[in-house]
Amino acid sequence: MLVPALFGNLYWSHTFHLVNLYVAVAVLQNMLLADAGQVSFGQGAVFGAAGYTVGIAATLLGTSLPLAFLLGLAAALALGCLFALPALRVQGYYLGFVTLSVAMVFPELLVAFSDYTNGVNGIKLQLPALHRPLFAGVTPLSLLVILLACGALAGHGYLRETRLGRRMRVAAASPEAALSLGFSPGGARSAAFFIAALGTGLAGLLYVPVVGFLSPSAFHVELSIFFFFSVIVGGNGRLLGPILGVWILYLVPNVLMVDLVNYRLIGYGLVALGIMLAFPDGLVGTVENALRRRTLKPGDAEVGLQSVMGAAGAADKAPPSAGAAIVEVRAARKRYGQVVALDGVSLTVGRGTVHGLVGPNGSGKTTLLNVLSGFARLDAGAVSIKGVGIARMRPDRIARLGVGRTFQTPRVFDELTIAENVQIGADVAGTRVDDVDPKWRTQRPDQLPHAQRRLLEVLRVIRTGSDVLLLDEPAAGLSAEERREFARLLRHLRDALGKTIVLVEHDLDLVWRVADRITVLDTGTTIAEGAPAEIVGDARVRALFTGKLDA
Amino acid sequence: MDELIIILVRGIGLGAVYALVAISFNVVHNSSGILNFAQGNMLVLGGLFGFFTLTQEPGVASWLVLLPAAALLYAAVLAGQGWITLLPLRSSVEQHSWLITTLAVSVIIGAVILIAQGPFALNVKSPFPSFALLGTRTPAPYAGAVLLALAWCAALHWFHTRTTTGLAMSAIAQDLEAARAVGIRVRRLQIYAFGISGAIVGSAGFVAAPVMSISADSGIIYVVNGFIAAVIGGLGSNAGALVGGALVGVASMWAAFEFGGQFQNAVSLAILIGVLMLRPQGLFGRTAARRV
Repeated sequence: MLVPALFGNLYWSHTFHLVNLYVAVAVLQNMLLADAGQVSFGQGAVFGAAGYTVGIAATLLGTSLPLAFLLGLAAALALGCLFALPALRVQGYYLGFVTLSVAMVFPELLVAFSDYTNGVNGIKLQLPALHRPLFAGVTPLSLLVILLACGALAGHGYLRETRLGRRMRVAAASPEAALSLGFSPGGARSAAFFIAALGTGLAGLLYVPVVGFLSPSAFHVELSIFFFFSVIVGGNGRLLGPILGVWILYLVPNVLMVDLVNYRLIGYGLVALGIMLAFPDGLVGTVENALRRRTLKPGDAEVGLQSVMGAAGAADKAPPSAGAAIVEVRAARKRYGQVVALDGVSLTVGRGTVHGLVGPNGSGKTTLLNVLSGFARLDAGAVSIKGVGIARMRPDRIARLGVGRTFQTPRVFDELTIAENVQIGADVAGTRVDDVDPKWRTQRPDQLPHAQRRLLEVLRVIRTGSDVLLLDEPAAGLSAEERREFARLLRHLRDALGKTIVLVEHDLDLVWRVADRITVLDTGTTIAEGAPAEIVGDARVRALFTGKLDA
Repeated sequence: MDELIIILVRGIGLGAVYALVAISFNVVHNSSGILNFAQGNMLVLGGLFGFFTLTQEPGVASWLVLLPAAALLYAAVLAGQGWITLLPLRSSVEQHSWLITTLAVSVIIGAVILIAQGPFALNVKSPFPSFALLGTRTPAPYAGAVLLALAWCAALHWFHTRTTTGLAMSAIAQDLEAARAVGIRVRRLQIYAFGISGAIVGSAGFVAAPVMSISADSGIIYVVNGFIAAVIGGLGSNAGALVGGALVGVASMWAAFEFGGQFQNAVSLAILIGVLMLRPQGLFGRTAARRV
């Protein structure tokens, strides 16, 4: 990348500058798509908005250059906000269309406001100072563009190690998991658009000295599509993918078919289509996967109960006195269409106790868990945790009260390493996951058997430091031996760490062994409530679970 | 007053074209969750079909023969595109490959039109004379588009409630896994859905050709406005698409009269952002039940 600049050949140094700017934009596009899961077909407009604003401010408005550059960056950020705003509410292809229409409208507006933009005649603005060589043919501009491209790459790599970076990936993979970990997935998406706009805007600023001329046709929707496709060609989510993608999509047609400008678009389309059909992981991604398969011994890492016990940590303070009600549900009613999921259920869970919720399928157990964590809203009744009414509270706010939950289908993320899957829980408590199997740092959970994925999610929710844990069938798939171990883990959490646990579980032996109190639900009503020994003889409970209780 | 009538009448006509794109979106989206970005350029291809087949003085009889021909031709083209789009979804974990494959197809069509026809918009003659409506002369294709949109809406309603294939398609829309479990051949039906969407945009492009912009870069305008119409109506609802299309069409005509043609798409964009911020499920859409 660096070499051509030294040649001093004008065409090559121009291409070199431009390719570096495009790499920077593509890197941010990659971050947006792969980490935040957001489709943007409008990064070309953000890029153009920065450049054009500099041009307008410096020439037609006559501001000083530094101010013009500041205004340019502000314009890019403003456009980023325009993308980020709908991202708070919706995601995926909706934003694809929003950004696509921005990319479409942007050059139209440049023409429409020709009084301010010079319309199709464009704006000429050259900054010769940046082209003056410092040493050996290296100009300040070439340093700046390299710095930007490398900075974008390094920044993307760094972002992945931060809490925000992890949260973006969680929000992209599962908005519910994001909410259950106490943050708004929309916020993470918006942050991604904002960061992308910042970097893309900086590239747009440098476009002005690189090209020296701004015209609406340079910022047509094709530019945005070019950025998007270069990420796909290189490999969605691979750090180095955008570099290869930009090289292939920009350099190859430019060098080989300089005269056939019209054919370039067909080239973009065919290459992107071909890559998607032949190498869905992109070029870099395909090579990386092949390497990974060769070096990886599958089934290496394990998430066993021992490690969960170890990582759960010892008591750092005496658990608060048990007993006082921490979760209270009063006459809860919830219906889905014609189905009454909860029909006047009440529930009191004492602090530092394990409360079992059992009942046949469709009895309302998971609905009740969803009510407690804010994923379902009651039609009538009251629900409070730690004395705070949560009936109208958003799930992320409830999570921040210190309520953690697991899901029936575990929300375990194959895009993250096993250690990172735990770290996103520890992020809530602001702690670091240091004390884990080193294999967890390199391996992803995609090879883990289902039961271990559940345990991984349990471990994560423990590490959030929440004092109320809502566990949805955490022991499903564990062997008899593991279930006994798991019961020990739950007691440890209660006795040593003072956690309050609401346990939805089909394994009645396990529930009867660990729970302090049990609520038996059937078709949305409570049919029995009490200590295990009290309700084991209840005729209605026995009728419900005939043959299953051997206590 | 005259201006207002023109805006309303032509806006509803233009809106019917958007509604047709929106309805074609719905058909594919309901059966597969895919939104075909190429739908706008396919509409333009429908217009191109009109450009090549309708002579200087087109006759009503040949027009009546060509209309189903356009529908069939693009049904086949879209079925082919659907097959390609669905290919990577068979095995891959990357379930969003359609965003890329459909956009790539759209870009390729646009580029081919550019190379073959140049950057200028093409004109197509209508065999039907313009007529007077509320005191303004209205080109017949506007009325044609409205009739066609209503006809497709009715036909789809009949198809989805009265035929086995249509019912099976509705079943996919309701619950893909359950549909698969009872032995519905999901992949084949999804390709049919692509075919039907092709018949819709093919016929729409042909009917509206005289009042459409047929050029390399107008596909994107139709796809975006069609999407906006679909979102306003609530993605998946065809009746909603009719209303959404009319709203977008009238707003877009109004913007053209009030501020100039360059602002049409800016106004559509503002509507899109507004709807997504205030009511993302659309006017007639229901919020899908959250599954945890």
